[in-house]
This record gives sequence, C-alpha cells and structure tokens, in this order.
Amino acid sequence: MNTYYAANLLIYAGVDIIAVLALNLQFGVSGIVNFSFIVFQAAGAYAAAVLSMPPHTAADYSFQVYFGGYQLPFPIPWIGGALAGGVLAIPVGLVVLRKLRSDYQAIALLVTSIIANTVINNARPFLNGAAGLALVPQPLQDQVDTNTDSYLYLYIALTAVCVGLVWFLAARIVNSPYGRTLRAMREHELAATALGKNPVALKMTMFMVGGAIAGLSGAILVGFLTVWAPSTWLYPETIILFAALIVGGRGNNLGAILGALLVPVGFEEVTRQLIRMNVGPPNVIPALEWVAIGLFILGFLWFRPEGVRPEPRHVFEGSPETELVENVGTA
Amino acid sequence: MSIFAAAFGFGLVSMSVIAVAAVGFTMQFGITNMINLAYGQVMISSAYVAYYINRAGVTIWVGMIAGAVFGAVFSFLLNRLVYAPFQRKGTSHIGMVIVSLAVSLMLANLLLPIVGYFSVSYQEHAGNLVRLGDIVVTNNQIAIILLSVALMLGIHALLRYTRLGKAMRATAANPTLARNCGIPTQRVIDMVWLITGALCGLAGVIAALNSDSFVIASGAGFLITALAAAVLGGAGQPYGAMIGAVIIGLITELSAAAWSPEYKEVVAFGVLVLVMVLRPQGLLAKRGALAAAG
Repeated sequence: MNTYYAANLLIYAGVDIIAVLALNLQFGVSGIVNFSFIVFQAAGAYAAAVLSMPPHTAADYSFQVYFGGYQLPFPIPWIGGALAGGVLAIPVGLVVLRKLRSDYQAIALLVTSIIANTVINNARPFLNGAAGLALVPQPLQDQVDTNTDSYLYLYIALTAVCVGLVWFLAARIVNSPYGRTLRAMREHELAATALGKNPVALKMTMFMVGGAIAGLSGAILVGFLTVWAPSTWLYPETIILFAALIVGGRGNNLGAILGALLVPVGFEEVTRQLIRMNVGPPNVIPALEWVAIGLFILGFLWFRPEGVRPEPRHVFEGSPETELVENVGTA
Repeated sequence: MSIFAAAFGFGLVSMSVIAVAAVGFTMQFGITNMINLAYGQVMISSAYVAYYINRAGVTIWVGMIAGAVFGAVFSFLLNRLVYAPFQRKGTSHIGMVIVSLAVSLMLANLLLPIVGYFSVSYQEHAGNLVRLGDIVVTNNQIAIILLSVALMLGIHALLRYTRLGKAMRATAANPTLARNCGIPTQRVIDMVWLITGALCGLAGVIAALNSDSFVIASGAGFLITALAAAVLGGAGQPYGAMIGAVIIGLITELSAAAWSPEYKEVVAFGVLVLVMVLRPQGLLAKRGALAAAG
C-alpha cells in the first residue's frame, strides 16, 4: 500500500463523510428523501472546475468546451462549489418541496437526477458533455509541487479541515432547538405545523444547507481527481450514500460517519482487493458490488432499520408520545 | 409540414407503448399503494426474455407472450417475497420507495453479467410500410397500436364490468372496508400484481421492439416516461394514465422532430415538472399527490 493509495483512500473517506453528513441532515434529521443528492455534489464539482480552470480557448485546454474558466485561486473554487450546490437547491426545492406528498418528492428527485445527467451528457458546449472536464487545476498548484507526498498530506489536511467544519455545523444543527424542530417535522409534519412551524421553510433551508455541503464535497473530489464527467454522478451513487446512512444510523452524525466508512469506502476497498486477487471475471465484481449494496439496504431495513448507531431518542417517561414515536419511527 | 406528420405517426406508436407501461404502473400504485421503482427494470428484463427467445429463431410475437408471462410471474413474486413482507412489517411509504429502488438496482446489476453491456435488437422484419398521407408507419407499428388499443379496452372492461375489476376498485378505494365487505383483498392484490406485471412485461417488449436497440440502462428511460404519463394523469388513475400517455407520446415525438431526439426524456420531464407545479394532483385525480401519505 503506497502513499498515493493511502492518500486516495483517506480523501475519498473525507469526501464520503462530508456527503453522508449532509444527507443525514436532509434524510436522517429532516426526512427529505433527496434522491438527487449526487446532482448537488456534481454541481459543486463542475462549479469548482470552471472557477479554477483557464478559459477553454487556452492552449492546453482547447480539446474541451465549457463555459467560464476564471482561473481563480484556491479557496474560491471550493467556496464557489459549495455556493453552487446551495443555489441549485433553490429552484429544485421550490418545485419539489412545496406542494408534493413525500413519496412524490422522492420520485421527482430521482427523475431529476436521471434527467440532469442526460442533459449534461448531451449538451456538449455547456460542460463538455459525456467526455467531461479534464485537467482541472489542483488547489495551490501554482505554489506547491503537486507530485510530491507532502502535497498529498496537504490535501488530506485540507479535506480533514472541511470534515471538521461540516461535522461541527451538523452537530450544531442536530443538537440545537432548530434540530429538534426538524425532527418534530420529520416525525409528524401536521403536528409540527399546528405548533406554528413552517415545514416548507424548514425543508427548503435544509435542502440548501445540504446542497451546499454536497457541493463542497464535489469541489474537494474534483480538485483531487482533476477530472469530472457525467459517468461519475449517475443516480446509483446517491443510493450508495443512502445505504451508508441506513447502515450507519439515520439521524445520528456519528452513525453517518460510521456508515460512510463502512459502505462507500469499505466496498471500494473490498472490490479492489477482489479484482486484484482475480476472483471471477473483472466486470462481474462491480455489478455484484451493487447487488450487495441493495442487499445491505434491504437487510438493514428488515433487521435493523435504526442502523448500527441509532439516533438517540429523547422521550420523557410515561409521555403519551412514546407509543407514537415507536409507530412512526420505522421507515 | 411533412416532418410533423411523420412525427405524429411516431407519436401514435409512442403513446401506445407508453399507455401499456403507464396503466400497469398506475394500477400497481393505485390498488396496492406501492410505488414500484423497479418497474422499468422488470420491463427491460422482460424485453431480454423475449430477446433470447427471438434469437433462438422464434418470432417476436411469441417472445412477447413469454415476456408478458415473465413480467407477470416476476412481479407477483417480487410482491410476495419482498414488498408484501416489508409492508406487513409496517415499513413507511418512503421506506417502501427506498426498498423498490434497492430492488431496481439489484435487478439491473444481476442482469448485467448475464446479458452483457452491448446493445441488442430483435431480429424481426419491420414489415411493409403503410402510408396514410404523410404518415408512414410499419406493419409492426400498426400491430403495436392495435394491441395497445385492445389492451386499453380490455382494462376498461375489466375494471367496469367484471367482479374482479369491481373488487380491485373497492380495494383501491378502501382496503379495510373492502375486506370487511367480504372481498378477498389478498387474492385481489395477487391478481393485480399478475395483471400489471403482464402489462409491464408486454410494455417492455413493445418498447424494445419500437426502439432500434436496447441495453440494460434503457430501463431507467422506460420508467421515466411511464412515470411522467402516470403522474400527469393523476397517479393511481388508469384512465388518467391513458390520457397522460397520449399527451406524453405526442409531445415527445413532436419535440424530437422539431428539436433533437436526444431530449425526448427531457421533454417528458419538463411536462412532469409543469404538472407538479401547476396541478400536482394530476389531470384526473381528486386527491392524488396532494393527500397525506398513508
């Protein structure tokens, strides 16, 4: 296991943790079934890419076409990525979250994810279509040599700082009175509305916060990979994150982190080892990996719907709520 | 204008295909309260069943029956072995949507190693061209249109005039009350999965027959058009789905002629978004998407 591979694993782990924490805020805490989560990560990645790349007329970049190309220095692309994810959440949220029943919301978001991918895939002048963007500049590459181990450590450190920030933010939201309101809405929207809470505003806020965090995760990923294409954000990628959250424990930030380490990171690693050991034909293993993820989801929803680390329940002894909470708690 | 007349002809075929898929989907949802996101995958699986039979030298029309049987049996088993146990366990609406999405993902990836990554097509002569003015369709396409019209009339007759159809409508309206009135709702629901599964399988084969070639990934596109038609008409409403299919079929083909065929599904999606903003309950439904889940 060389340094580059270890760094690769750590950075992926960081990106997945950030993404699953964001999904936890939306799905775990607020009950928004965001099946287009990966679109927000993609928006962040594309935004970070076009903010940091030179215009597509530049000498080395003329083989691709894209809009923008602003060559802005590091932190701006990452901040821009987060902003892009948050801003994209506004129109999507306004269409989906206002009137529709929750299961329709889920379907609408799933379809949005598939269609967004189709559009970017076919509309080449916008973001270079199916081929995607390549040669995305890495953060600080004009100041540091990116081909050294110390750059990898630097990138891991930057990722870790973001993980820390996102975790702090998520913990603050989950443990605050605002988080309690979100959980109340998730458990019983009508009751929360009757108490004067505005579920649409709450959902829109969490949609934007989660979208911004997803955008940040995309920006981090594209800075490391230096390429980004529609094939990297197909809708099943969202299902992996859902699997992570269901396995780890919905509504629990620690559970989300645990799930991110177990499912996306763990599966990648196991698959890589299996392919390296030549167990079975190489293109069957990734397919079976998806089957296994499906089985994980079904298995956990059946045997342990609350996940490995369940959400702590704050219910007063003897309160009439106890029975209600147990009834609606199973998803 | 002849390009639009031709597109109208394609639209007729398209709406026939979408109608079969959308009516099956919407009946599943309306009667069993299950949003089956694996529907598109069952469609494409049935298309592959027909493909293997067709490749063995049998005509696609026999393959179509095999596809329908496969779709019926598979959907029935899917409900009995996966969906019904989860529903009995008290899994929420959203939980069931996630379950069906997981099933869809598993199905696609179980098939992938079996059928491969390359696109395939049926070996069937498209039949002679039939001209009606500027509208040009093949014999096969006329057969698809007639089949679809016959199926729609059959569904209408089933729902209106048979005991089973009445029992289905009663179960859709209020399952508990239906059971109390002596309707064997369990058997009705089994029948619904068999019938809608057969529609799903048939729809898969004719959708595949109507496109030049297909791959596993086509299943997602099938699902989107069926969903768009079903939601447009008001989810759970078979007649709404038929109207939705007519609208989606025409609009997608006309836009393909005017603009680009790559954006067919995008146009279907655009219609879906408009409906969700302007009339979330769909064209026919009284409550539909607006009512609380459960």
